[in-house]
Amino acid sequence: MLGASYALVAIGYTIIFGVLRLLHFAHGEVFMFGAFIGLQIVLAWSGVNIYLAIIFAMLGTGVIGVIVALIAVRPISSKYPLAPLISTIGATLIMQNVAVSVFGGENQSFPETMDPVIYSVAGVTVSNIQIFTLLMSMIIMVALWQFVGRSKTGRAIRAVAESHETAALMGVNVGRTVLITFFLASCLAGAAGVLDGVKNSAVSPFMGLEVAVAGLVCMLLGGLGNIFGAMVAGFILGLVEILSAAYLGTSLRDLFTFVILILILLYKPSGLFGTRVVDD
Amino acid sequence: MNPFIESLLVFTGIHIIAAMSFYMPFKTGQVSLGQAGFMGVGAYAAGVITVKFGLPYPVGLIFAGVFTGLIGICVGFPALRIRGIYLLLLTLGFAQIVQVIALTWDYTGAHDGFQGIPYQENTFWYVYGTIIILILFFSRLENSSLGRAMVSIHEDEEAAEVMGIDVVRIKLLAFGLGAVIAGVAGAMFAHYTTYVDSRSFGILLGVEILMFCVVGGVTTYWGPILGAAFLSLLPEGLRTLRDLMELIPLAVTDAIPKGDEIYDWLYELLDFENEKRLIVYGAVLIIMMIIRPQGLLTNKTVRQLMFWKRPSRDA
Amino acid sequence: MPEASTHCTLHAEGLTKRFGGFYALRDVTIDVQEGHIHAVIGPNGAGKTTLFNALSGTLAVDSGEITFENQRLEMLKPYRRTALGIARTFQNIRLFEHMTVIENVMVGAHSRSYSALWGAFSGAVLHRPFAQPAVEKTMRDRAFELLDFMGLGQKMDENAEDLAYGERRRLEIARALAIEPRLLLLDEPAAGMNPNETHELDEHIKRIRDRGVTIVLVEHDMNLVMGISDQITVLNFGEKIAEGSPSTIQSDPVVIEAYLGEEEVL
Repeated sequence: MLGASYALVAIGYTIIFGVLRLLHFAHGEVFMFGAFIGLQIVLAWSGVNIYLAIIFAMLGTGVIGVIVALIAVRPISSKYPLAPLISTIGATLIMQNVAVSVFGGENQSFPETMDPVIYSVAGVTVSNIQIFTLLMSMIIMVALWQFVGRSKTGRAIRAVAESHETAALMGVNVGRTVLITFFLASCLAGAAGVLDGVKNSAVSPFMGLEVAVAGLVCMLLGGLGNIFGAMVAGFILGLVEILSAAYLGTSLRDLFTFVILILILLYKPSGLFGTRVVDD
Repeated sequence: MNPFIESLLVFTGIHIIAAMSFYMPFKTGQVSLGQAGFMGVGAYAAGVITVKFGLPYPVGLIFAGVFTGLIGICVGFPALRIRGIYLLLLTLGFAQIVQVIALTWDYTGAHDGFQGIPYQENTFWYVYGTIIILILFFSRLENSSLGRAMVSIHEDEEAAEVMGIDVVRIKLLAFGLGAVIAGVAGAMFAHYTTYVDSRSFGILLGVEILMFCVVGGVTTYWGPILGAAFLSLLPEGLRTLRDLMELIPLAVTDAIPKGDEIYDWLYELLDFENEKRLIVYGAVLIIMMIIRPQGLLTNKTVRQLMFWKRPSRDA
Repeated sequence: MPEASTHCTLHAEGLTKRFGGFYALRDVTIDVQEGHIHAVIGPNGAGKTTLFNALSGTLAVDSGEITFENQRLEMLKPYRRTALGIARTFQNIRLFEHMTVIENVMVGAHSRSYSALWGAFSGAVLHRPFAQPAVEKTMRDRAFELLDFMGLGQKMDENAEDLAYGERRRLEIARALAIEPRLLLLDEPAAGMNPNETHELDEHIKRIRDRGVTIVLVEHDMNLVMGISDQITVLNFGEKIAEGSPSTIQSDPVVIEAYLGEEEVL
């Protein structure tokens, strides 16, 4: 389901925001790269196990995410709050157009990776592909959630999200933790990208933008820095979009998303589940 | 004037005005990504005046300004309680809504766009005349109590309030004025291109305006002007650079190992028609933010430059 | 001990403020005589800053009345109270960091020379460009006079963020004075100061009082408080527990008990 992609991307947004208070616009492009890497793997290696393709895509995008962090995020001093934003926009431009020049500007079709089977459940038709992507997304999401909640690295991430200084005083390597966060966030986005490609059977260098904006809305809806919130918000948004597209037509669908955004900002800026981030 | 150069200068000028429309609310600390939306409102409003009511261009401009200003104040009210990234997103949402309305409202052409807007051949003069007026205005604002009040709100809203500043009124004023300026820019744009549609004033433009200001520097009104000019003329500059490249004699490229390939790659890169230019653009943004995050011009820089020009001025 | 009745300039009665189940202020009544230096003291967390916030309008009280020179204040926003002549400083010094010292002070003068919004707006367009009109110059001169009064004249063109701590405090006070207040609320003006600086502050406060300003101050430094105050109100746990002249307070057993365990020595 659409919501799953949003959720995965939103989680990435939110953990990056958590550790750096940064709106990482370029995150959508990472999603797009995930799709393309997955595509390349599947094209080059026919009959490849889809799981393998996903894992490689995740690793690939993880690396890309770290590279972006090193080039466009780390060198920017946070003294000027708008500077990192502009830098990520620059990164977005670069990534999007590198993709266009390497892969061409049109939609590319994603070859079939499994035989489609349609089920009919309670009057709604679902295909096994949709179920598969949904399941995979959920597994990855839950895995990440547990990781951040329970592992030592996860604790480090949460500590850095609270306060760089305090975390450093407790012996956490803040710089490395931030990079790990980028890696994880990008892995998730990459997975989402591949799964999206599998589900829609098409990828395009411009798929990043839409998801970028939607992911942002989800992050806000779920509460800044709140992983669980981002997950739920992703599904809610996906559902809302599908419903509004069905009843209101596609052009008004975007309107709906933004109306929701505005309502949240005005009445519950801390999101449905509360932010985990202290406002300055 | 060469029509190509004129069009380049007109669009650059409109970008400058748009950048100044961002600077106005920013002076009080309000970051608005919605200025593109206000441009759209102004464009459509002026278009309605000239096309549907047949009134002359200046009437269209004035109406666009006033109408957009009122809308600006309406948006400004909810914006009062919101800061930082939340405000960013709110204004973004507003711009999106404007876009969707433009897309679906039949009176102004829905997704066919607003067509047949009368061409204003003196747009160049209107644009740069407006810029001059704005420069005069901002220069007065800088050293006035109103200007200081705005900056103090940016610095610390609560302390400003306790100092006797009517924060609400001034924030609304700044926000509304920003909308007026953007509306006028949009109106002039519409009457130059004679056609606008929902895609003319979207998020991308809003982000572009942000870029102009951050790259140019937001602590002084010259910053957005320079930033807009620089980034608007950059593609042209790159193309000129590329044309200059053609003058490099073959002997030079032959002398450098792989000279041909490097030359071709650079040539491609500087082609402002295709997506490679955007890669350069993006790289410029990142590099600028690394080496000069405060923007090209800051208050200090301007003071230094002005001091150099008029050494006899007392501090 | 009944005081000779002089004009009471600030009268707050029954001020109560709750945060959930916690009473930050509980039925606090305080009278400040015109021309007095009136101190509010109490252990940490006693509600002193909350009281100040209520007086300056930064915080709205749940119940109670505040009257200043026969004007009721509770419904007025901070900037309106400033227009009536009430100025305050903050415990954690809130300067406009990226503005210069003199600009900080000129902001305070804003409410005095602030003609209608339209006037400010049209003035911006109609006056000679790039030149400083007469009004600006007057404001600048007055601001400089205040800076000089507080010993900061030399620093007028420096950015506020570059000042030393003691200077920042003095700038805050100068800025508050720019409003030409009749009532000045000083929130822990001596915090972080060494004995020399505190002594200078003592002098400054007296000179401000001599200019005709009524002063209310919250302070922990007992030497300063006892030496300078005409009247002292003591708060503890949001309630008023004592009020009177310095000598009365110093010998009040209730007050001494409240401070037991605190490092302050009366």
